[in-house]
This record gives sequence, structure tokens and C-alpha cells, in this order.
Amino acid sequence: MNDPREGDAVVRAPKGGAGAAAVRNASEGEGAQALYAARKKIYPRTVHGRFDRWRWVLVWATQIVFYGLPWLTWNGRQAVLFDLAARKFYIFGFVFWPQDFIYLTALLIISALALFLFTAVGGRLWCGYACPQTVYTEIFMWIERKIEGGRAQRMLLDEAPVSARKVAVKGAKHAAWIAVSLWTGFTFVGYFTPITELLGAVAALATGPWETFWILFYGFATYGNAGWMREQVCKYMCPYARFQSAMFDRDTLIITYDAGRGEPRGPRSRKAVRAEIPLGDCVNCGLCVDVCPTGIDIREGLQYECIGCAACIDACDEVMGKFGYPRGLIRYSTENALAHGWDARKMVRRVLRARTLVYGAILFAVCAALAGALALRVPLKVDIVRDRASLAREVEGGRIENVYRIQVMNTQERAHRYRIGASGLPGIAVASDAQIEVPAATTRQVPLRIQIDPGTTAKGSHRIEVEVQSLDDAGVVAREQSVFLVR
Amino acid sequence: MSDGKRLIYILWPSFIVAGVATGVVFTVFDPTDLRFFDREITLSRTAVYSIGFFLFWLFAAGSSALTCFFQRSSADLNRPRGAPFDRPQTPPGKGTVH
Repeated sequence: MNDPREGDAVVRAPKGGAGAAAVRNASEGEGAQALYAARKKIYPRTVHGRFDRWRWVLVWATQIVFYGLPWLTWNGRQAVLFDLAARKFYIFGFVFWPQDFIYLTALLIISALALFLFTAVGGRLWCGYACPQTVYTEIFMWIERKIEGGRAQRMLLDEAPVSARKVAVKGAKHAAWIAVSLWTGFTFVGYFTPITELLGAVAALATGPWETFWILFYGFATYGNAGWMREQVCKYMCPYARFQSAMFDRDTLIITYDAGRGEPRGPRSRKAVRAEIPLGDCVNCGLCVDVCPTGIDIREGLQYECIGCAACIDACDEVMGKFGYPRGLIRYSTENALAHGWDARKMVRRVLRARTLVYGAILFAVCAALAGALALRVPLKVDIVRDRASLAREVEGGRIENVYRIQVMNTQERAHRYRIGASGLPGIAVASDAQIEVPAATTRQVPLRIQIDPGTTAKGSHRIEVEVQSLDDAGVVAREQSVFLVR
Repeated sequence: MSDGKRLIYILWPSFIVAGVATGVVFTVFDPTDLRFFDREITLSRTAVYSIGFFLFWLFAAGSSALTCFFQRSSADLNRPRGAPFDRPQTPPGKGTVH
């Protein structure tokens, strides 16, 4: 990732140059950009450093999971498959049915609460390192850099008149972007339809119409968001960016410029003796602005456009090193720590405060409830519906019979044989087939006839309970209430 | 607001809402149980999900479009027939003036 061309080209382009290029770019009719009239194309300078390395670690980690997960197998099927066509979600050992919606709801609540908690503590760590928008933008910018060159080369290329070379370079970049986008779209659809079959269909150009559509749709979204829109998504489209300030307080970790140490800023010679310069530590090199993917100046204070990527920290640390000044003129800190000059220990101690404790307690409670519910989950669901056509009838021996339809859902990935029993009235018994075999992860619906002894029960409706018990696993049992009518 | 930006303001929030609505509605209802003018639906579930998503998007976009429409200022409504819209000019780089 070390790009030698980048390092040498430290000429700051005049503001007008970048702006003019942007205007021309927007007027070239490039769909996504033209939607924002005021957009100035941002050419972030490449930066290397601690936080940039962390971002690449996260790019690799998240994308190995995203691209790799659909290929894992479990119990002879895809380990993670949201089989929409069959209305079943497979997640490793679990099979979820639409009736398990409650678990999905709990998962969404957990995700939201976790985001609240991490935002209150760590600020926009998610945005800066793990958000797909950041991750794909990072990948797409890497491709751009490899093909078009460093920041200065990219600016020159954009300003240059159309030539065979420009068309070739731009064409190569877009081809690479489109290839990554299509693979991303394919992987995305592979979470909803078995991916090995999908790969075969793609290879034979025989994907179904909707699969084709969604691969292209998601691929186009990736291409547009990571290639063209980039920081615009964070600034204008992301709901989280808009409401994250509600979770911030003065103890939230943010990227800050230490104005007390940096001001008054100004250029100086590297050889100048520090004590003799009547200036702060900021040398006003402008690198923190050049590297910013959203094009802001962090020295103006906390801004909602800041996605917390820490590129400015990396850039500033390098400059401080060159001048022999201590690192951290721009650093991760909190408003309180900066105002009171706290050290790291005192700052960390403020992680435990009312807001984070409340978020944490609710999060823990919901997690525990979900884990408990999953552990106690019986892989069997039973539904009983009275036969609407008949009420109660008298059969041989004067016994009274009611007819139902019973639906038995085996949510486990192995077949079960169940015994159906009834209780709640004198002499109650199941007159229809009392045993039912249900294959793995399927639903069976059978008629159910229940009889009671004559003359023992008053007229009217009576509560009864139907029990479905697995014959091979005592723990798999479900009980369902219903009504027995006597005329 | 530019026309392009207005288009984003209409299409993007409705896209988010359509995604959520599709998830919730089709969790509760199985497309194969639905009837279309009292006739059975012969389309695959995937097709119904997809068509449903675009219908939700369309409805939500209609709502967003109405919101934008009702935001027109009295100056816009009172302008003489044929005159250009008198929209407040946004100073460059200073965010949006509605």
C-alpha cells in the first residue's frame, strides 16, 4: 500500500484548481454527482500511520466475513442462508421461521443499543473503521490510486483534455470498480439464495430474473456509493450521521485539535529552535485538510461531517515527528479531557457514567433475554384450528367428537416422530392417528379427531389442552390450548 | 433546493422506509397466502417480495414528494403565470436554505 508517487507529490494544488476540476466533473453528466449541485470533488491525499493500519485491518476482517460467510457449510447446507423463497433463515445450528420474528426484533434492538453504547463511549469509531461505506470507499480509493496514481496525478488527469491515455486509465479504473461491485452484488444475493447454485447459474448465464436484477442493483449501489458518492453518503444520506450527536456528551471520544497547544499556527523552518518561535505547534501545513475524506478542517472544531477516520491524526503525527514535536496535536480525546487537561487514565475512568451505564444495563438485559430464549427454545411449534364445518357430533358408542386441524412444525434439522395427546375432560382421547412423523425442518398439517365419554360433560364450550411430544427426545414437547364443544 | 437534491430527498428516505416495510410485511404475510383480485398469485415468492418492495418505495416516494410539494413558499405560489420560480439563493458552501 506504500505508494512512492504519493509521498513525493506534496504540492498543494491551488483551491481554484480542485474546484474547477470538480465543476467540470459534475457537468460531465456523471449521474450521482450531478445530484449535488454544490459538490466539490474531494481528492483525499493518501496517509499512512497507526490508524490507517487499523482501518485496513478492519477492511480485511469485515470483508473476509462478508465475502466468505456464504461459502461456509453446516449440517450439509449453507451455514448462513436467509432463504426468503422458503421463508426460513439458517444461521449455523439454528433455523428460524417467520414465527421467530421476535428473535429478529431482539437482534435489531441489541444492534441499536450497542450502537448507542459504542457511540456514547467511542464516538464515530463505527463510521471511521467498520461502516461498509467507509470500507468500500477505502477499497475503491485503493484501486483508484493503483490505476490513476497519487492525489496530484489524479487531479492532473481530471483536468487534462480527453486523450486515449485518459480514456484507457479511466476505463481500467471503472472496469476494476465494476468487477468488485458485481462480486459484491453476487455475494449479497448469495446470502438469500444458495450461493454455490447461484455461482453455477451465473457461470451458465442462467440466473433467474430477480436474482439477476438484485445482483445488478446491489452492484450498482456499491459502485455508485463507493466510487462516486463517497463522503456525500455520510454527509447527506446517512441517518446515523444526523442523530449521532444525540448520543454524544462531553466524555465521548472524538477527534480533536488541541488549539491550546497548536495556536497561533504558522509556518517555520524545521531547523528553527522551538523556544525561539513565537508560535504554537501547528505548522499550518494543511495536510490534515488534504487527507480528510470529507474535506473539512478539524482545527475548526467538532463537525458533524467528521466521520472519525483519524486520517488527520496520522498525517499530523508524521509532521510533528519531522519537526521533532510530540505527537498528538490532533488526537483522540474528549471535550472534558481537552478542557481540563486530563490524562488518559482520568479520561478512561469517565467511560463509566450514567449514560453508558444505562445503555449498558439495557443492552445486557436484552442480550441475556435473547440468549435465554434461544437456549430454552423448543424446536417444535403446534397450531390447532377447529374445523369450521362441524361443531360436535355423536359417534359410535355415543361418544362426542370434535374435529380439528393440527399443524406441527418441526424446526429442527432432523426428522421427529411425535405422539399427540389431549387432556382436560373426562375420557378424552385422540381418535385419529395419534402419531405423526414430520421430516426435518418442515410443517405437516393433519386432521385431528378428539372424543370424550358421553354424559360426563355439560353443554357448552370447554377448554382442552393438546400435547405434542417427540418420541425420541423427551425435551421436545409443545402444548396448545383449544376448545371442545358439547351440544 | 435544486431539482437533483429534491429528487434525492424524495427517493432516499422512501427507499429506507420501503426496505423496512418489505421486511415487516412479508415476515407477517406469506406471499403464497395472498390473493390478487380474488385470484391466486402464481408468481414466485422472490418476485412478490421484489414487486412489493417497489410498490412500498413508490407509495413512500409519493408521500415524500407531497411533503416537498407542500413546502413551496407563498412566493412560489403567488408568482405570475410563466415567471420563473423565485427560490432563495444558497450562498456557496453554506448548506441549504429551504
